Amino acid sequence: MNGIVCAIRGGPDSGATIARAITLAQETEQPLYFLYIVNLDFMSRTSSTRVQVISQEMHEMGEFILLSARAEAEAQGITAKGVVRHGNVVQEIVAFCREITANYLVVGQPRFQDEESIFTQALLAQFVQQAEEQTGAKVVLAGGGAE
Amino acid sequence: MRKGMRLQWVIVLLVGISIALVWANTGSEAEEPLPPLLTGSVFDRQEQPVVDAEVTLRSPGESEPLAEARTQPDGRYALSLPESTPDSLVVHIERVHFSEIDIELSPEAVQALRAGQSVVLPDTNLPRQVNAAFWVATLIFVGMLVLIATGKLHNTLAALLGASLVFAVSYLGHPISENLFIFGFETSLTYVDWNVIFLIMGMMIVIAVVERTGIFQWMAYQAYRLSRGHLWLLLPILMVVTGVASAFLDNVTTMLLMTPITIQIAMAMGANPLALLLPAVMASNVVGISTLIGTPTNILIGSYAGITFNDFLVNLTPGVLLALVGLILYSEFIYRKQLLGSSSGGISSVLLEKLAERGRITEPDHLKKAAVVGAGMLILFVIGEQIHLLPAVTAIIGATALMVWIRPDIEEMIEAVDWTTLMFFICLFIVVGAIQEVGLISLIAELIGRIVGDNLFVAMMVVTWFSAVLSTVVANIPFTAAMLPVVGYLTATIPGAENMALFYGLSVGSAMGGNGSLIGASANMVTAGIAERAGHPISYVHFLRKGFPALLITVALASIWLVVRFLL
Repeated sequence: MNGIVCAIRGGPDSGATIARAITLAQETEQPLYFLYIVNLDFMSRTSSTRVQVISQEMHEMGEFILLSARAEAEAQGITAKGVVRHGNVVQEIVAFCREITANYLVVGQPRFQDEESIFTQALLAQFVQQAEEQTGAKVVLAGGGAE
Repeated sequence: MRKGMRLQWVIVLLVGISIALVWANTGSEAEEPLPPLLTGSVFDRQEQPVVDAEVTLRSPGESEPLAEARTQPDGRYALSLPESTPDSLVVHIERVHFSEIDIELSPEAVQALRAGQSVVLPDTNLPRQVNAAFWVATLIFVGMLVLIATGKLHNTLAALLGASLVFAVSYLGHPISENLFIFGFETSLTYVDWNVIFLIMGMMIVIAVVERTGIFQWMAYQAYRLSRGHLWLLLPILMVVTGVASAFLDNVTTMLLMTPITIQIAMAMGANPLALLLPAVMASNVVGISTLIGTPTNILIGSYAGITFNDFLVNLTPGVLLALVGLILYSEFIYRKQLLGSSSGGISSVLLEKLAERGRITEPDHLKKAAVVGAGMLILFVIGEQIHLLPAVTAIIGATALMVWIRPDIEEMIEAVDWTTLMFFICLFIVVGAIQEVGLISLIAELIGRIVGDNLFVAMMVVTWFSAVLSTVVANIPFTAAMLPVVGYLTATIPGAENMALFYGLSVGSAMGGNGSLIGASANMVTAGIAERAGHPISYVHFLRKGFPALLITVALASIWLVVRFLL
């Protein structure tokens, strides 16, 4: 099972990432998977036992974001799938790529160094190397909107 | 006839026994007259009673006390004099963190005591002593605030560390120097407000049931439907819905559940979610204070000052509504481009379908039962004052009734209680108790007292605005806990402040101040965290730009109400 994995988190910055993944799917005719990771690290500073409930809410939100991306792909003649995973962003991306033996992994690049993104430029370079080594997939960096 | 005679004899016997008992009691009183008492009261410089001070009566030059007593919560003491009273007497008063004091009794007082009469001494003012324990406790408190504000440690861990340090210094430092003793474990527990702990615990269980019913998602979706796709209309509806939910449930839970669905509504409408989220979280911070149970700070204030559920409703709700109107107008103004530029015209039918699916009540049966129990709790909160029912008891009764009726997984419900938060409050009370014990709070109270003088208006403005500005950088719960005795002192000393106006000022400032910065309220942090995971990060500067003017507007409007309500 090969394919293209496009990791997104929604928002205006994901637009370029989604567009690049759709183009790649059109070019290679490989199945496209949009991936959203539910990460609750922001809860660590809040005293709350609502992890189970908020995890479910974030899952639903992730599905909504993926639905939007899939609708965009559909409009361009590409049938894409949406996958929601929970946990560490980098680990889950790598795990999913290995699971489907992905050929391509499309991720966004941070526009600004100080942007609150999982990937800063330095971390992104490290991630690209790690992902290519561990999954065998080619990492494609899209304009903005890093996961 | 015989029966009548018997009855007469029984009555005579009973009367006889009664007279004998009265005679015996009178006789014993006459034989052992009560010893004369030497009584008085001890206060600190802020005219607050000094509790648990050791009061001894001595003959000058003698080390053995003739009588001993400890001051009660009202600062009073009563010494029972021995049978033989010497010619001169000295009352010695001492308490940790205060300077010792000797009061020599006047010859007239001694003479009266020797004649078997009780004597009341004039009130004693015990001066504070600033020693090593004062500085250590102050450092621990400030350190805890810094750790919480910077996020270096989890709130609970920071408070636990603070409480542990207080005990470590008191118990391990005491053998090295007496001046290092802050307070003992038993004394520390007297500072823990169990009414607050149980009220929060009860409400957590109720919320755990309510949050699973889908009511928040339903309300948000109904707000969208009501607005008919007009963002400028959706904004105030969503703010009111979020605000009302926050008045009865805690702000963090409200925003945890409202934020994802709000983002989805904005996405479906092709709008920027931040134009809805920031006003919603600010409304949550503002409207939450209209009830006793809406914010942890109100729970703290209500329990300390004895302000009831009704008091908050009557004295704060009009001001809160005024502030909300101001906040809505401000939000409409700053987001006017986004609000007027988008509409649901281009909404995807797929997304709309998904949105409608998300807006359904998931557990209607549980919701009905929760509504019945919630209504019952509301009635008890309202009438509780008349029947001396504490809010904590109402919360526990409500939570138990709900669990018995719904029969949820009890372990799941107990897990739903945020024990880390409860531990945070217990440790916080201990650390704040430590700075109260060593006199830091008295010092701050005296300082503020000097600034505001006897002017209630100035005091109200200082408390409200000082709390609001500080709440933008300091976590408002520990800040409010520390300010309670300060405001209590000002309330007791400023003429006219007995209407609790200053406590309402503290409530307004500490809650609405949370809008001033991203770290000003936990609800802000949660909202920003979820928004960031949806690709809409909220930076500190972005929040400050939008939030600080909101703080100024809402606190100003609420201040106007407080002046109208309490001063005119």
